Amino acid sequence: MNYRDVFGEVLADHHESPRNWGLAVDAEIRENGFNPLCGDKVTLGLKMRDGKLVSCTFEGEGCSICMASASIMTEMVQGQPLDRVSGLIEGFRAKMQGEDRPDVLPSEDSSEDIVALYGIKRFPVRIKCALLPWTTLKKGLETPHA
Amino acid sequence: MNELIRRDFPILSRMVDGKPLCYLDNAATSQRPKKVVDAIVRYYLETNANVHRGVYKLSQEATDAFESVRSKVVRFLGAASEREIVFTKGTTEAINLIASAFGESTVGPGDVIAVTRMEHHANFVPWQQLAKRKGARFEIIELTSDLRLDPKEVDRVLALKPKILAVSLLSNVTGVTNPVASLASRFKLVGSTIVVDAAQGIAHGEVEISRLGPIDFLAFSAHKLCGPTGVGVLWGREAVFSRMPPYQVGGNMISHVGDLDSEWNELPHKFEAGTPDIAGVIGLGAAIDYIETQGRTRIQEYEDRITAYVLERIVSIPGLRLLGPKDPHHRAPIFSIAIDGVHAHDLATFLDMRGISVRAGHHCAHPLMLRLGLPATCRASFSFYNTLEEADQLIDALKSAPQFFRRKSS
Repeated sequence: MNYRDVFGEVLADHHESPRNWGLAVDAEIRENGFNPLCGDKVTLGLKMRDGKLVSCTFEGEGCSICMASASIMTEMVQGQPLDRVSGLIEGFRAKMQGEDRPDVLPSEDSSEDIVALYGIKRFPVRIKCALLPWTTLKKGLETPHA
Repeated sequence: MNELIRRDFPILSRMVDGKPLCYLDNAATSQRPKKVVDAIVRYYLETNANVHRGVYKLSQEATDAFESVRSKVVRFLGAASEREIVFTKGTTEAINLIASAFGESTVGPGDVIAVTRMEHHANFVPWQQLAKRKGARFEIIELTSDLRLDPKEVDRVLALKPKILAVSLLSNVTGVTNPVASLASRFKLVGSTIVVDAAQGIAHGEVEISRLGPIDFLAFSAHKLCGPTGVGVLWGREAVFSRMPPYQVGGNMISHVGDLDSEWNELPHKFEAGTPDIAGVIGLGAAIDYIETQGRTRIQEYEDRITAYVLERIVSIPGLRLLGPKDPHHRAPIFSIAIDGVHAHDLATFLDMRGISVRAGHHCAHPLMLRLGLPATCRASFSFYNTLEEADQLIDALKSAPQFFRRKSS
């Protein structure tokens, strides 16, 4: 048995080859997320235009689940209207904490990468690892900017 | 040590996800033998009354039970008298008590307060903040590459004649033991007050005040010693205690309260405001009894065996980095490890899936982790009730970790 058998190919792949890695030079907001209990760190580079999140890049240092979650998140929110992004963040939080909001997030049988993160619920102590990039994004979107 | 000891700890026979519990997070908190839990239950069911208050028999019984633990702690530490033993919530509160009641009245602008790089936050932050409040200099004694105190650094800080030296008996991250007696002797000569954090040390072998040199304070928590959470001990020299103002004020710690001023109760009650954790203290007494029945020398000999056993095997695991000294001398069975390319959390989950409970994180030692450049490590810490089979279980799991976490490209 190996990591892929337990956490799946999608998580392993996002961890090993993170998407949107490296903060975009034109990022207008940099938001840091840190979990002081375990040391997971993530920094997001954000750029918004006309009510959309046009760019979301990241860097960080953390466990495989935190990093894969960040990678999957950036792919999912890139180019989306801000209210849609907020809905996804809230939907993901609810999903991780066991509340079901089927309208917001892809269903379990969808082929989207985020489905791979749903399984983290089986490891309750790791939920905070998966959530860190999402709560950091929420903070970033709430940052007042010109 | 033998299998009979494990039967004293009911939790050690439970299963986790269908696998026997292999509890290797003893540096965070130990398990409790049934005797300790029974003592707490018996107190509540048979002896419960407030202490130092009532004139009735039950209250006297509760007070006697409570105070007899103080006498037990005096013997356990080799202290001079009950006046030197203050019950606290734990090590953290004990050190805050010293930093506040002693530090506030002793340290002034420009004075030096010294700690070491390996201190737990509990013996770091109170001193850092005291220095900040007082405009004092905060000095950190740095470590050698194998994470022991660097003798050159000790000399450097000694020359600064610190008002206070705060040092742990043994590191909760690396298991390194510090030469507290010789440090205390040297720092005493330059006028330092020496504060010893024995949170980890108390669980590993004999801690005897007279063998620690001219120290002034020592703190530990019951829960690392098979006792309950929420109770700790602060030992302090009577001469020092009697010069200190109270830490908290209120009930129990007064001798007289007037409209405009109050007078303080005698030692040690001056430092015990409010109703104490009576049941917890009684649990601590039962824990001390239990430890003494096993024998502290015997415990240490057995733990030394575990330390040597694990070290010998762990250092040969490819790709594994063990923090701290690789030789078993002056070292407790606490092993912080990192595996190339595997985050500590992932490793801890991997071990948990095999029933092995370890700690992953920064171990409340940010200043040390920062220096090591590691965000987190996995820590396996043993107690006298752990077995060599459990050590093998850990070693086997660690050996198979690189295969588990192997990346596609490699």
